[in-house]
Amino acid sequence: MPQPTGVIIERFSQALAALEEAPPFAKSRYQTDVYQEANRLIETENGLEHLYGYADRFEQTGVFQDGPWEEANKLQPPLVAGSLKAKGLPMIIEILSELRMLAVAKERYVNPAVTPQMAEEFLNEVMVLNLNLLFPDASESARIEKHENDEKASELFQFLANHLSSDALIQTLIDEIKRLTAQRPIMIKRTVSMIRMAKEMLEKEHAENDQSELIRFIAAIEGPSEISNRYKDVHAYRAQLKGLSRSELISESVSFAKSMRSTGLVAPHHATLIRYLSKRMPQLLPHALDLSSKGVANLEENNELVIQLIRASVFPATRQAIYGLALMLERGVLSHSPVPPGLRRLIELDIRPDVRNALAQTTSVGEGLTANNILVAATIQVLGQPLGIGQGFNPTCQAARGISLWAQHAPGFLLEIIPRAARDGDIDFMFEGQAIHSKDLSGGLAPELHKELDPISLILVPHLDRIYSEMMSRVALRGDDGHRWVNPAFYGNWVQKGFANIIDPLTGYVQDYPGFVRLFYATHHTEYNDDYEMIYPNPVGIFITNVHGKLLGLHAVSITRIGVDPEGKDRIYFYNPNNDGSQNWGQNIEPSVAGNGEEEGESSLPFHEFASRLYAFHYNPYEQGEAYAVDDSIVQNVQQLAKESWGKDYTWV
Amino acid sequence: MELDQLELNATVEDSEKTKPYYTALIGWSVQAIEAAAKMNRPFIVVGPPDFESYAEKHEIPFVGWDFNKINESSDHLYMQLKEMGAEVAVPLYEECVEWAGALNARFREDPRVFNRSLLLRDKGMMKRKAQISGIKVGVFEEARSKDDVERFLKRVNEALLKLDGDHLDPIHVKPLDKAGSVGHLAINTAEGIEQIQDTDFPLLMESHLDGQEFSCEAFVHKGKVRFLNITEYIRLGYSNFVPASPLLEEKRPLIERAVQQLVDAFEIEYGVIHPEYFLTPDGTLHFGEVAARVPGGHIFELIERAYGFSAYEAQILCSDPNTTEEELEEFFPDPYQYEAYAGCLMVHPNTDYVKDLEIPEELEHHAYFEKHDMFTPPQGKVAERVGFGNHYGTIFFYGKDSEEMTNLLKRYEEHDFYI
Repeated sequence: MPQPTGVIIERFSQALAALEEAPPFAKSRYQTDVYQEANRLIETENGLEHLYGYADRFEQTGVFQDGPWEEANKLQPPLVAGSLKAKGLPMIIEILSELRMLAVAKERYVNPAVTPQMAEEFLNEVMVLNLNLLFPDASESARIEKHENDEKASELFQFLANHLSSDALIQTLIDEIKRLTAQRPIMIKRTVSMIRMAKEMLEKEHAENDQSELIRFIAAIEGPSEISNRYKDVHAYRAQLKGLSRSELISESVSFAKSMRSTGLVAPHHATLIRYLSKRMPQLLPHALDLSSKGVANLEENNELVIQLIRASVFPATRQAIYGLALMLERGVLSHSPVPPGLRRLIELDIRPDVRNALAQTTSVGEGLTANNILVAATIQVLGQPLGIGQGFNPTCQAARGISLWAQHAPGFLLEIIPRAARDGDIDFMFEGQAIHSKDLSGGLAPELHKELDPISLILVPHLDRIYSEMMSRVALRGDDGHRWVNPAFYGNWVQKGFANIIDPLTGYVQDYPGFVRLFYATHHTEYNDDYEMIYPNPVGIFITNVHGKLLGLHAVSITRIGVDPEGKDRIYFYNPNNDGSQNWGQNIEPSVAGNGEEEGESSLPFHEFASRLYAFHYNPYEQGEAYAVDDSIVQNVQQLAKESWGKDYTWV
Repeated sequence: MELDQLELNATVEDSEKTKPYYTALIGWSVQAIEAAAKMNRPFIVVGPPDFESYAEKHEIPFVGWDFNKINESSDHLYMQLKEMGAEVAVPLYEECVEWAGALNARFREDPRVFNRSLLLRDKGMMKRKAQISGIKVGVFEEARSKDDVERFLKRVNEALLKLDGDHLDPIHVKPLDKAGSVGHLAINTAEGIEQIQDTDFPLLMESHLDGQEFSCEAFVHKGKVRFLNITEYIRLGYSNFVPASPLLEEKRPLIERAVQQLVDAFEIEYGVIHPEYFLTPDGTLHFGEVAARVPGGHIFELIERAYGFSAYEAQILCSDPNTTEEELEEFFPDPYQYEAYAGCLMVHPNTDYVKDLEIPEELEHHAYFEKHDMFTPPQGKVAERVGFGNHYGTIFFYGKDSEEMTNLLKRYEEHDFYI
């Protein structure tokens, strides 16, 4: 016979009291019992509510003492999901820790280092990061990767949501959506599911404050125009189009285009409209894409091809290609002579069965799309949004950086390797006079690619990843950082041949850091580099640090521009392929994605802050400025930031 | 912590109950520290240097010491502790016994205290001493090589009049100075001999003793057993309970005499001893071995549950020559006075690879079930068992019927908690 809840509560209460009485050095002996009883209580109905009743005592009794959850102010929202998914002890303590935070947020308990507001922000952030658990059955991938603890975790989040202000949660959600859309990623699944969540909450909770921003995002994916708002179903909408006058069509077009340009999100009806216009009134396309004069010129020049591309790629399921198409026309990509034939080739490309399968899996079943439709749409997106390419959950930043660079500066080359991979299952690169064929290689950094990627990355990354790894292993024993030779060979001649690295590959020590900083300033900072403008993105290596400045690992980003922000400060604008361009790097170094002069998809940091995380960069040896002129205090400042963060894990000589 | 700091920090109240000297706990045991703190006794912990930062964090007076390293500066430990005001040393682990012995020999100015402690650390010497004192032991010898083991196995079986082709009777081998069951093997074949690790030599070999194995925990003060607990083993290293079942408790007078005989023979004056015996079907006691430290198998915890006193406090009390008769009288209960049996089962996975934990509902709902400390483990390979040490978890029971207790322990010993 199961024990009545009352008995379990009593047992928990006793275990907590025993822990409370224990001297500080002996807490660990009594914590086990508390965790055991907490676990029993979590299993019961209303268990969380009962546990929460004690949450104001958790810290003082020593529930978290001497463990990773001890200091509430050092906890990090992104780590919560991992603990909740781990079975056993971490899950139990994590739940207790969230309840502790809730007690702080609700001012039932005062933690000297965490204010109620900080606690609430922490919990909101946790929930926003785990929307799939807060609203189960949201995403396909969550369903596939279902964990046994998910039920408990979603119970916890429901509980937290019920106790926290939904206004604040919705606001956090909106901020997160804005942060994501500002980066204009090609993959919008996460953004869309967040918008759906926020909508659901809005409908349930009748939030009070101004929700116009959220409504704008909801409209962007569900129908921002008058008629699409009325006829949500695309079939009904399509039927309506036939009866519209030219001016009504223009007004529809403008609404869609405005929404798309301001959010980077495309409504399915927009695809219907574009297809309709391309057949009946192609002259209205500039309205539907909100093109500038340059974009219009590019469209007119390639009118026939664009219409062909629309027919072959723009469907409700591939609606985001419309945004890619608009930006591609703005960038004038079609004026590169290899691009039009390169795109036309894709429409009829004989795609390999395995690639065909992989492409088919990127859209839902029953959309009636061919692999070629998807391939063309995806190519348009990459060419239109080169900074929207992400590495997903894969350690393949180099490959993502390469695709992005080629999409910007070598679309012809990109259009060569896409059919090579999709049709031949092979890509070949020359390296120091020898050909490297990806089909002959195995391994790479990501032998098991996580599939949440845009289709072009899905096709190319497995090849590029292996080639890059092969190149690196060929130069592994040269006694210098292999990127020196590999980067120019892999990315192409756009990468400068000069190369600086602060880590001595033989000893692993940091050497001549001030010299490195000076060289970086002299080759990149506008005040010292003799006004040489940056032309191609510079693939650089950076140390990724966490919110406390602790080294997490090495990462590859590309500097896209050096410039002055609206406040007159020197900034470095860069492309971060990790899909999250605004992580907190500690020491108040927090890359921004908007508001400091960033273009869509760029992240940015003040010059010296970026410099403090840099470990390797390329430069043009013939375009060096005045290294000696860089002020000592600047170098000192950068060095201090470096030494107090990632530098702690290195020996300095 | 530096010496001078320590003296500043030491706040010793000179009230009647608190004695103005320090007790040195030899070995790191949170339970023992807790007991000392609870008794309001000033204490110093002598433990492995790894614990220093923890001790510092929680303001525990601490001296870091590596017990496995014997060197000329060992005297330094005594000087240091003396300087701090320590007068009593309490050994908590096997490796600490001779260190506590050496310290107490100096504290009490009686060199033989140290020799007596060595007796408890060398299983060969221990057996010989017992034999000389007329305590019944099996046939034993010390071995330095596998050849010695082979010869002994052969001779024991010759004595048992085994013929060629008969199944040999097993012999037991145990490293001379290891705790509990570490390195303990029962051997009756040549292959068995090959299993012995070279590092286990020198070791003690012993003929097999039939009968019921059990242990005692005797709290000794001024050479007299002040309280004797009998622990019944269901399966050595897996399950035991306190006090023993009526059938074994019936023999208490016999056992008490045997333990006192052992204490006299080994000239043990203070502290706790943990001897193991075999009770043969005809009612004779065979001495197995004895240790002078905290026993394994959660026995101290079971004693506390069954008899209501802290065995750690009892150990500290009995280790101190200054403890008075009245204090002892007041502290220990009548061994026949107990409410119920306290038992525990030490769980070890039966598989090599652990995926999940499954606690049967009927276990949790059994009236005897008190608690367990197992959590779903991170998936992974199971560590090999050393002695009876690193079990994965313990289940505690408490109930009035020793037969039900025995059945429970037997039943769940078979159960696969880890799958």
